Amino acid sequence: MAETGRLRQTAAPLISPVTLLRLAIVLGVLAAWEFLAHSGWLYRDVVPSLLSIGRALAGLLGSFEFYFNLGVTAAEIAAALAIGGLSGLVVGILLGANRFLSRAFEIYLYYLGPTPKIIFFPVLIMWFGVGPESKVALGTLSCFFPVALSVAAGMRQIDKVLIRVGASFRASALQMVLKIYLPAMRHPIINGFRLGFGFALIGALLAETKLSNKGVGFLIINAYSTFDMPRMYAMLIVLFVLAIGANALIGRLGALDRIERL
Amino acid sequence: MTDAAAPRRSPPGRFIAPAVGFAAIVGTFALGEVLVRIGAIDRYIVPPPSEVLGSFYRIVAEERVFSRFLYTGSECLIAGVLLTLFGIAGGMLMHRFKLLQQAIETWVAALAAAPLVLMYPLFLVIFGRSMWTMVIMGFVSGLPPVILKTIEGIAATRKVLINVGRSFKLSAGQQFWKILFPAALPTIFVGVRLGLIFALINIVGTEFLINFGGLGHLIADLAERYDLAGTYAAICFVILVSVLFFIALEKAERWLRPVD
Amino acid sequence: MMSAQPKADGAILTVDDIVVRYDTPEGPITAVDNVSFKVRPGEFLSVIGPSGCGKSTLFNVIGGLLSHHAGIVNVAGETISGPHQSIGMVFQEESTFPWRTVIDNVAFPLELIGMGRAQRAERARHFINLVGLEGFENRYPGELSGGMRQRVSLARTLASEPKILLMDEPFAALDEQTRLLLGDKVLQIQQQLKQTTLLITHNITEAVQMSDRILVMTYRPGKTKRIVDIDLPRPRTSEIVTSDAFGHYVAQIWNDLREEASRGMKDEEAHVLHHEGPSS
Repeated sequence: MAETGRLRQTAAPLISPVTLLRLAIVLGVLAAWEFLAHSGWLYRDVVPSLLSIGRALAGLLGSFEFYFNLGVTAAEIAAALAIGGLSGLVVGILLGANRFLSRAFEIYLYYLGPTPKIIFFPVLIMWFGVGPESKVALGTLSCFFPVALSVAAGMRQIDKVLIRVGASFRASALQMVLKIYLPAMRHPIINGFRLGFGFALIGALLAETKLSNKGVGFLIINAYSTFDMPRMYAMLIVLFVLAIGANALIGRLGALDRIERL
Repeated sequence: MTDAAAPRRSPPGRFIAPAVGFAAIVGTFALGEVLVRIGAIDRYIVPPPSEVLGSFYRIVAEERVFSRFLYTGSECLIAGVLLTLFGIAGGMLMHRFKLLQQAIETWVAALAAAPLVLMYPLFLVIFGRSMWTMVIMGFVSGLPPVILKTIEGIAATRKVLINVGRSFKLSAGQQFWKILFPAALPTIFVGVRLGLIFALINIVGTEFLINFGGLGHLIADLAERYDLAGTYAAICFVILVSVLFFIALEKAERWLRPVD
Repeated sequence: MMSAQPKADGAILTVDDIVVRYDTPEGPITAVDNVSFKVRPGEFLSVIGPSGCGKSTLFNVIGGLLSHHAGIVNVAGETISGPHQSIGMVFQEESTFPWRTVIDNVAFPLELIGMGRAQRAERARHFINLVGLEGFENRYPGELSGGMRQRVSLARTLASEPKILLMDEPFAALDEQTRLLLGDKVLQIQQQLKQTTLLITHNITEAVQMSDRILVMTYRPGKTKRIVDIDLPRPRTSEIVTSDAFGHYVAQIWNDLREEASRGMKDEEAHVLHHEGPSS
């Protein structure tokens, strides 16, 4: 029933080829997994059956113990983000605003950033004890660098004319920071925090696997030491879903203001 | 701060800021030394910096630091080769088969954001306490950036260069190997650099966590023996190695793209 | 028609013997060399000159953003030492805050001095209407055209009710037609508010259209070449560009400028030949 004068659009396929391919890949992987699980080639339970993983997952999501430990880890990461993120923000603003400070100190942040922070854990245990505090400390250390470096770079990329506008209206230093620097840097800030979140997450979790009696990391290493593989896989799955989800959420925050396309 | 005048930049003046920064850091350690010696900071928690410095020699001599360094280094090398080969190949494949790219590129990006290193107990189970646990850990964590940067590099070749190729009637294969791939190399190397850094970080971290391997193991060992100064020294040493590795990669990248 | 000295006294802005020198890798450069003039209340003065004559440097000195100079800038009896509250600046580049709506942009100076929310909004609306952007209060600058964004910047500066409006080639990035019409708007506002205005420009038509007096600068080092009284009737609109008197003034100023502009070009060419690229 073509309408005269209008182009007929071919009906879009119900399921796009991309989705089909994704489905095929996922199903293929699951099938190969299940095959491996029942093949007996690997030591029992190194690759557990999907059913056992599913059961472990269900058990996990229904247990109070899991949510308690998840809460502990989440609190550690929140604290790390707050302390490390805030100090990173302040340091980043200082370094970005002042060329002398930047040329004096930023190089240390730049080269110390990509180093394995987990190796500081023994020292942090000595300073903060065996409890969550040392995990928060490690998370703070991990999250500080990406935030500080991202903010410092962001400060330098602020359109110079905007700073002159603030100066021409005699804005105080605090007003400059709150009303000009921070809003102008919202993208570098969000990206810095995104990276910082990822590193804080890793830092806190790894620390928990090394020495802890609480938290998701502790649960994972616990499952390992009792060779409860289905449970370990289940926890890894939940962890990855949460981490990827949180990362995407933070990323969304950055895309919120699509209006300003200057 | 709002001065629009051109700043004076005499050659000696250029080094004032970095010198002040360095002096400040040395000064902080000197202050730390004083505070520990007078007991303001507990020396059983923080050893005096001079003692840490002194331990360097002892650690290097007694703990076979050099062979440990080689051990970690070879883990990184193997992981590095693997992630470079598979990463570039994966990126090329995804560029060639657009459908594949559309399907799994976001998955690869998501994986780059996931705490992959948390899988180390898993690899421990599969590969046991051996260097392969570290190698696979390094490989898995370093792979996503290489794939993503390879795709990005190939896709970002300037249109005009592609048109040059077409004007010479190059075949698809020639177009790829003579134009797209060379043009993409700088970006690909950025990805390889990122991958190598992630690999090193995760390899050393895993060594520390499973108490096996080279440098990471050293730290865990010294910590368990309550060799305070030794632990601090070993940590400093590993940081130093990491920084030097990072600088070397930067130099290599600059060599690869001299005009930018 | 032409006068060598500005008329003295009752001046609201006095620029006295400004010299700006700075060091470059090729040696010291004098950007501005002993420039002096006075501006009377309600007057529209343009400073015109070729690229490289130091007029933007002068803009920064008067605006208080450049303190590395000799000489004094005096506003209503006070010597300035940094941006003065009686001077409002409008910059050449895009300067609206992309993350704020139009009304929040215009209200910015009022926010800084702590004005209450309702009062701010009312005052901002007044100036938004003045520049002809009513209806766009809640839009973001990214949604507006270049000309509209410059009007937002203008409204924002006017909202701080400065005694002296200082503008640095605000229409440089716009096309000729938009420029003429916006020039009309600025004239209309200036005449309505009796706003003392100092305009930095390289566009002769614009300068003659809007000014009571024009200060012509030489190429670097920038000195005062001539001060021209523009005796065209007020109120003016862009239609004035067709009159004979207008054409006469433009020709006269172009004569002055042509020498300076060609000196500038030769200088640039020599610079490229002897060094690795253009000097700026």
